[in-house]
Amino acid sequence: MPDLVLEVREVDKIYGEAETAIYALKNVSFSVKKGEFILIVGSSGSGKSTLLNMIGLLDRPTNGKVFIDGLDTSTLNDNQISSFRNSKLGFIFQFSNLLADLTVLENVVLPRRIQKTDTNAVEEAKLLLKTVGLESQMNKYSNKVSGGQAQRVAICRSLINKPTIVLADEPTGNLDSVSAETTVQLMKSLNRKLGHTFIVVTHDRQQFGDVDKVITIRDGKIIEDEITEIPTIT
Amino acid sequence: MDYRAKVGLRFITRRRGSLIAASLAVAIAILVVQVNVVIFQGLYNAIVRDQINYRFGHVYITRQENFITKSDKMLVNWLERIPYVDAAAPRLDAVASINATGSGQTIRDYSVPVIGVDPVLDTKASTMYKTVGDGQYVSSRNSIVLGAIVARDLGNSHVGDSVKLKFKDRNGVDELRRFTVVGITETAGSVGLDNSVIMNIDTLREILGRPHETQSIMVKLNDPTKDQEVKDLFLRAFPTRSDNFKAQTIEESAETTLSGFRSGIALINLVGYFGMMSSAFAVVTIQMMQVTSKTREIGIMRAIGSRRKDILIIFIFQGMVIGAIGAGLGTIFGVSYTAYAKETHMTFQGSLALEVTYNWLGILQTDILAFLLAVVASIYPAYKATKLQPVEAMRFA
Repeated sequence: MPDLVLEVREVDKIYGEAETAIYALKNVSFSVKKGEFILIVGSSGSGKSTLLNMIGLLDRPTNGKVFIDGLDTSTLNDNQISSFRNSKLGFIFQFSNLLADLTVLENVVLPRRIQKTDTNAVEEAKLLLKTVGLESQMNKYSNKVSGGQAQRVAICRSLINKPTIVLADEPTGNLDSVSAETTVQLMKSLNRKLGHTFIVVTHDRQQFGDVDKVITIRDGKIIEDEITEIPTIT
Repeated sequence: MDYRAKVGLRFITRRRGSLIAASLAVAIAILVVQVNVVIFQGLYNAIVRDQINYRFGHVYITRQENFITKSDKMLVNWLERIPYVDAAAPRLDAVASINATGSGQTIRDYSVPVIGVDPVLDTKASTMYKTVGDGQYVSSRNSIVLGAIVARDLGNSHVGDSVKLKFKDRNGVDELRRFTVVGITETAGSVGLDNSVIMNIDTLREILGRPHETQSIMVKLNDPTKDQEVKDLFLRAFPTRSDNFKAQTIEESAETTLSGFRSGIALINLVGYFGMMSSAFAVVTIQMMQVTSKTREIGIMRAIGSRRKDILIIFIFQGMVIGAIGAGLGTIFGVSYTAYAKETHMTFQGSLALEVTYNWLGILQTDILAFLLAVVASIYPAYKATKLQPVEAMRFA
């Protein structure tokens, strides 16, 4: 299946041992094709952020495997995982998680600096910031921009290395409704224009309208994994 | 600039309080070491200086277990032909019993060291004459200069007073002489001849019955670094067994006085370096606080691809920045204090004036040590930072 960019195969995540063991994820399997926009939904504590951490290689599954671009990520050591995260994955977090001591532009360029492929990094970062309407803010320190703007900066940062998959954990969870709507539209538009695969964890599926797939999680298990047409709220 | 250096620099410079506190800890440690050096090395140098000026010269010539019988004029002339020699002067030492009469009563009667000097040559080879605060230096045959302690012990003798000294000549016969006090000599810290009396060398020779004999010759050089050379030249020129000369550099002649002091300086320097260690603990504490305050940022950086090694480098680089700024500030403070001490001829409660020199190599060594300590002190906090898991770290508010 050459189009598959992600395959999660029989993943368990267990916290604690023996009698005190708690399954945060239980036998989770699904796959994602290149360019898809996927929602992972579920109530608080259902395990959706844990799943995203497994996909983002920020945590390791207790059992099972995660394949990204056909590579079994369980075979990677710590340095290889860091390098893999840097080049193949983009992250958007609920609280934008920008470095307050760097400017907006420096935050966007940072993944490229880590990758040590600085050529045209600044120009590309400026272009991305222009795309999201933040060219006038690029020299401000990141803690001096609004929450909505910070989230757009985080989106730019997630895209600077042209990742295989962009992972977003409740990207609108900390935003007002207008900023949230702007952020959603921006991600979807970038998905369409640039063809990046987006996997978004949210508890508000309505906010995202039409997507390619919705994975619903409850108590650590996938209870729904299907191509879902969500009616647009009018 | 490497991104790790840039991020490290931003982390630390945007928290100015931490940067200032950590840098000051390093700077103050350097200052403490520098103050120790200025005071104790300055005191050591001052003692060496005064021992040279008042007692031994740069080269001190005696004869093994006996008086020098060769003509002092001949020896002085020979020495003064050496280009490095500024001046040379003979001296003769003796002991006498001294007393003074005041209000018809004898005041004290005790032994004092007596030093016979050549009034002309001694003012060239020694600065002893400059310590005469009241009156003048030895001139005529029956004049005498009292050390300040002797003058005090004699009931505050003054210039113009009469004192009696009783000597034993070379045959053991008592010789009583009366002298007129022409000056009182007083040195800071009493390192000069404050407990002695100074008189004309020819008078002393005559009293002791040693008309042409000399105890020692102090040699003043225009280039003190040539002391060993002058010493060797002299010993090569007068090698015979009958001469039996002994020539010593100041380090050798004043060894008894200086050796104990050197140990003291080493101990004080050790205390200073322990102070520097405590500054390293301050850096560790501040860097640990820095790591704690940047936990979320560390998590973010790990999440977007920084390796553990990169995080380590960021915080070690911060240690380098702290060390460099601290060393810079410490050098400024230390050199300023040194300059102040040098320009003001710093003394402590009337002690001898410190002989302050700029020890650039010592300053550089202290700076490098402080810098390295700041870097080493950053290793543990940096290591702790690398152990943070991205997910856990990013939850840190």
